[in-house]
Amino acid sequence: MDLLGNLSLGFGAALSPANLLYCLIGALLGTLIGVLPGVGPIATIAMLLPITFKLSPLAALIMLAGIYYGAQYGGSTTAILVNMPGESSSVVTCLDGYQMARQGRAGPALAIAALGSFFAGCVATLIIALFAPVLAELALKFGPAEYFSLMVLGLLAAVVLASGSVLKAVGMVILGLLLGLVGTDVNSGMARFTFGLTDLSDGIGFVAVAMGLFGLTEIIINLEHPERQPQVTAKVSHLWPTKADFKAAWKPVLRGTALGSILGILPGGGALLASFSAYTLEKKIAKDPSRFGKGAIEGVAAPEAANNAGAQTSFIPLLTLGIPSNAVMALMVGAMMIQGVAPGPQVMTERPQLFWGVITSMWIGNLMLVILNLPLVGMWVKLLKVPYRLLYPAILMFCAIGVYSVSNNAFDVGMIALFGLLGLLFFKLGCEPAPLLLGFILGPFMEEYLRRALLLSRGDATVFLTRPISLGFLIASALLLLTIVAPAFRKLREEAFVED
Amino acid sequence: MTPRMLAALIALVLGLGAAPALAQTYPTKPVRIIVPYPPGGGNDIVARALGQKLTESLGQNVLVENKPGGGTLIGAEAAAKAPPDGHTLFVGTIATMAINPSLYKEMPYHPVKDFAPIIHLVNYHMILVAHPDLPVKSVAELIAHAKANPGKLSYASFGSGSTPHLGTELLKTMTGIDMVHIPYKGGAPAIADLVGGQVPVMFIDTPPALTHIKAGKMRALAVSPAQRTALMPDLPTVGETVPGFGFTSWAGLYATAGTPAEVVAKLNGEINRILKLPDIHEQLSKLGADPVGGTPKNLAEWMAAETVKWAKVVKDSGAKLD
Repeated sequence: MDLLGNLSLGFGAALSPANLLYCLIGALLGTLIGVLPGVGPIATIAMLLPITFKLSPLAALIMLAGIYYGAQYGGSTTAILVNMPGESSSVVTCLDGYQMARQGRAGPALAIAALGSFFAGCVATLIIALFAPVLAELALKFGPAEYFSLMVLGLLAAVVLASGSVLKAVGMVILGLLLGLVGTDVNSGMARFTFGLTDLSDGIGFVAVAMGLFGLTEIIINLEHPERQPQVTAKVSHLWPTKADFKAAWKPVLRGTALGSILGILPGGGALLASFSAYTLEKKIAKDPSRFGKGAIEGVAAPEAANNAGAQTSFIPLLTLGIPSNAVMALMVGAMMIQGVAPGPQVMTERPQLFWGVITSMWIGNLMLVILNLPLVGMWVKLLKVPYRLLYPAILMFCAIGVYSVSNNAFDVGMIALFGLLGLLFFKLGCEPAPLLLGFILGPFMEEYLRRALLLSRGDATVFLTRPISLGFLIASALLLLTIVAPAFRKLREEAFVED
Repeated sequence: MTPRMLAALIALVLGLGAAPALAQTYPTKPVRIIVPYPPGGGNDIVARALGQKLTESLGQNVLVENKPGGGTLIGAEAAAKAPPDGHTLFVGTIATMAINPSLYKEMPYHPVKDFAPIIHLVNYHMILVAHPDLPVKSVAELIAHAKANPGKLSYASFGSGSTPHLGTELLKTMTGIDMVHIPYKGGAPAIADLVGGQVPVMFIDTPPALTHIKAGKMRALAVSPAQRTALMPDLPTVGETVPGFGFTSWAGLYATAGTPAEVVAKLNGEINRILKLPDIHEQLSKLGADPVGGTPKNLAEWMAAETVKWAKVVKDSGAKLD
């Protein structure tokens, strides 16, 4: 099927009234939590997982995707008006966005952020649409050996591109793999690490791990700080940017979109890395770098375009290969598995409606966000006045109800509490939980594919090297491994993350 | 006439009306049916259809509660420990009631001592399918192919100790062929790999088999029960080639042990009636399931026979869980 046929199939699916509604809910919810500092898209998606059980797979993915890119819009609103990043990816938007607001140009800053994001969203949607069919060709050639090698590559990439210490990232991946081993072994049916508890015989629940590690931990960490209510100082008088603004902004938007699209595809990438890199790039190539930090419109336009492009293109490895590139995408894998959709290249060929529906819904969602957000800025800002002493207990209660409803089992509620505390420990130790989640999700798959490939080859391990696609992944993995060990690259990597 | 009176009358007509006061007042509160699988599967659909009909005739809500996990042990344990008053029922299956005792060294419940059988609900047919590239069109050709290529053939199943696994092991011991077991976590990934040509042979449930067979992505070789099924009357049984072979996956309804006999009798009568309704028949046939019915004693005897049958298969195949 050609590109237009694919897109029209997608629009046909995404434009059904129910799916439009879930797209809107996702985009609005994303904006909401994007505006509120202290509640991020990872925590939100983790907490909403049980709700998606009742939806169709397409509606569930549309809503969760909407939360992710919606948060990029919402985050910039808080960053510009309050000088507090609503989202980690809008940290750099604070630098120049807030300065613009202080100069009475809050309106143009918000408008440029939204329009830049929208442009980036459109381009990213097209990129996904062009990219996907190429990979779909490969899908039919994938057997257990190919999947295993692909996952080795995915896990290594997660380590290389995680921010912070490599050693800690490796440790977290391994811990994730170990947690993934808990439960009944598929091949022998033996119980592993269950300590005689029947509740553990199906393994540790993904929802409990995700909610605890991301949702609960985030709330606990926020509670450590005394409650600070953000003060809204800037007034939004006029919205529309001037001609000069547009002239200054269009090139940064293009550069930000390009950079964000590329960084989004890389494992470990996504919105956060994209916005930082785009800002740095603009500052480096600017004629007068001293303007940055004092209200330069380029400093808003480029990172905002980049983070939205990155947020969207990070769906490419997920939807085409089933490999999550960051924690949000790992949660999406979980959502797909809950819906009975096995992530992998076959999603494109076997469920084209799901695949193209999600992609086109992103474009629709972006359009909704631009139309809704600019007029509604005042309302979102009012939300910042909701006291956290009301917000947090409500979130906790919904978490507990949500996880209980998964299999009507109180054991799972205890598990979130446990993983919430574990997440706090990781935070204190400076260990990122995202590699752990990737290991936890990919580990059981990896083991299953490894053993199945060996069973089918009757124990002949060369099967991973004699099948060309598998060999290709393993060579790429070896190269990645070299870069971790090579001193030159390590230095480069450390420099890259100093910017954070 | 109130629904409760109607129910009592029906019980009377069926010759079970000798029940004393207890059966006349039962149920006094909503009844829950525990299903040890997630929503959406065959057993869940059967339980929900049954729950709806029972709600109409018993005058109390009869609700389905899904308690999946632990290879059905979690749901079974919860049902075994419920108060024996007939307000907690359990959909026990071939796995929970006949196979698990041979697989697990330690069980959190005892299928006979902890449960009171109510009625044998349904038997599910399974279909033996092959990938179209495998050059076999019948069970006889499969056996010949396997014998000509010893140790080369693999077969898939929904998991270690699942009915398709043990059913194929039974076929292997009865015919002396050798195939390597490739277990999967549940039906969906196993079916995906069979369609993708990674594994050539498997026993699968009827609903997914029908779609793939129609699309030409699987070739149906035979059905698993001793008799041919109404859904695909042209498809032979495995037993026509391998005399004495036959199995079905099945489900029955159970109460906690110690539930008054009058309550069990009342439910048995009700459900025997429900299983004969035309709309239930239609729903079941879509699932590839045959309604069974009968007395609680029939179910107890069936269970005992199945337990012996599968214990031998488990022992012969060397499958053992912990």
